[in-house]
Amino acid sequence: MSEPVRVFVVDDHAMVRAGVRSELGDEVTVVGEAADVEEAVERIRTTVPDVVLLDVHLPGGGGRAVLETLRAELPTVRWLALSVSDAAEDVIAVIRAGARGYVTKTISGPDLQAAVRRVADGDVVFSPRLAGFVLDAFSAAGPAPAPAEDPATDPGLDLLSAREREVMQLLARGYTYREIGSRLFISVKTVESHASNVLRKLQLSNRNELTRWAATNRLL
Amino acid sequence: MITGVVRGPGGATIGNVQIPVAGTPAPGAGPGPQPRPPLARPRQGRLLAGVAAGTAAHLRQDPLVVRAAFVVLAALGVGVVLYGLLWLTMPVAEPGAEPVVTLKSGETRSTRQLLALGGLGLVALILFGQVLSFSNGNVVLPLVLVAAGLAVIWRQLDTDRALSLPGVRWVLAGGIALAGGGVVLLLATTGQLANARNGFAATLVILVGIVLATAPLWRRLLDSREAERSARIRSEERAAVAAHLHDSVLQTLALIQRNADDAHAVGRLARSQERELRTWLYEPQVASGGTWAGLVARMVAEVEADHAVTVDPVVVGDAPLDDELAALGAATREAMVNVAKHAEVTTADLYTEVSPDKVSVFVRDRGKGFDPETVPDDRRGLRDSVSGRLARLGGTATIRSAPGEGTEVELVLPREKTE
Repeated sequence: MSEPVRVFVVDDHAMVRAGVRSELGDEVTVVGEAADVEEAVERIRTTVPDVVLLDVHLPGGGGRAVLETLRAELPTVRWLALSVSDAAEDVIAVIRAGARGYVTKTISGPDLQAAVRRVADGDVVFSPRLAGFVLDAFSAAGPAPAPAEDPATDPGLDLLSAREREVMQLLARGYTYREIGSRLFISVKTVESHASNVLRKLQLSNRNELTRWAATNRLL
Repeated sequence: MITGVVRGPGGATIGNVQIPVAGTPAPGAGPGPQPRPPLARPRQGRLLAGVAAGTAAHLRQDPLVVRAAFVVLAALGVGVVLYGLLWLTMPVAEPGAEPVVTLKSGETRSTRQLLALGGLGLVALILFGQVLSFSNGNVVLPLVLVAAGLAVIWRQLDTDRALSLPGVRWVLAGGIALAGGGVVLLLATTGQLANARNGFAATLVILVGIVLATAPLWRRLLDSREAERSARIRSEERAAVAAHLHDSVLQTLALIQRNADDAHAVGRLARSQERELRTWLYEPQVASGGTWAGLVARMVAEVEADHAVTVDPVVVGDAPLDDELAALGAATREAMVNVAKHAEVTTADLYTEVSPDKVSVFVRDRGKGFDPETVPDDRRGLRDSVSGRLARLGGTATIRSAPGEGTEVELVLPREKTE
């Protein structure tokens, strides 16, 4: 373990910030906190942390607004969404805006530390719930890719490969990357790359079903 | 006073009629034992504005008789005034409480209308003659135009039809044009057009002035009405939310305070309350139940309430509940209870996926596990109630476990293709 990961916490509840700070323990350094979008943008610019723990619901536009403002400007910063919200469209929106993972605030201290470290190392973090959302979003369509009108559109973006689906299902079942690796007889690195690919597809896919799925879920 | 006049033309026998008591037919009270219908204008079966039809229903007379009476009275002039007054004062019948217009058998509707129209024509002729007799003929045409225009406008405004309907609007515009044209013609023939124009201009200026002067007042009135309305909606929503929070969150908080020493109980209370509130906020269709996802949410809440275990359910897809899914639910519940009883952990993962051809359920814990080869007797529950149940449904139950590595129960229920 080299230098401790520098973490910035964005949440509008002081109690949550304090709780996260104590749960993160000594292996990471909390370099700053912010309670709303404006404050977060300003302080993240000056501190340039390794990882930002970002609340999905924030006064002033939500975590998504912070991400959209700073993502291009600060490419070294990694983002991890942290929320109590179970609403699928909120989670998907933040992931599509560039977050590298999503964990709920009920996560245990050690799990949160592991997730932060993982994101800091460039990996993605799928909680079982996020994996479930992804499966739901991508299973709405049939298996056959629609003929692409725009040749630049990669039809592969709209579908999960059989392996990726398997990995997502195991994640949803509560397996760790290591357990998935031994279950599927592949290396942990391969599991991680599958997960990254799924995240990339989630972020880049223009598939109508995904949009429609999010839209119907918003209506409910 | 008006009703007194009404009874004149149509109901000569009115004096003998007793008010019938409900249920006891009053002799001579008319064709039916029902109490006399209220004086109201029907929505259907009108000839002009429904005055005669309503009066006839009230008096239990043939509408034709009443109409004839009106026509005769109209010829004298009284009928017209009377009709107008009644039109103004008689309410329109409530939907569903239409006064019944009784038709004599053997007469079709069109012949009756023809008769009535003929009667009206007669009145018109008589009136025409009267007007002719005391003025020159030039004013008659404009007067008829004005009357016709007014009649059209009144008829349109008097119906239930929405003013936004294009047909209604056109007819209204036609009526206004007709009446307006009549007025102009009347003024022109009497040589008062120039005077009227001046008067009209003056009136217009005054009206515009009044409207302009009081515009802020109107504006404020409208604004305050709008504000009042949205405030009412807000307060109603607030009341609904407050009621729900009181029944759920506040109760739970009270329970938590009472159990402050028992960390397990507090955790469980907070957990189940969190789940309930979350479902209420984000998944109202699940909270209302009736689907697989709803059943899973309910079962998880029950298991958490009864046992010292928290379960994180992830549900992909959904399907309406049927008997087979209910049985699968019972097996799932048993698997969760097994974790609580034997795994010696406090958390479990539940994943269930509904696909077109099957429903799968995975219940996983990281507890002490066991060797499936040497199933202890106390694990019979798992074998009998979970595996047995699934076998009866035509599904499969697979148990993966090893000492120290936790347990995963996989349930797969094939679905019949309904399409």
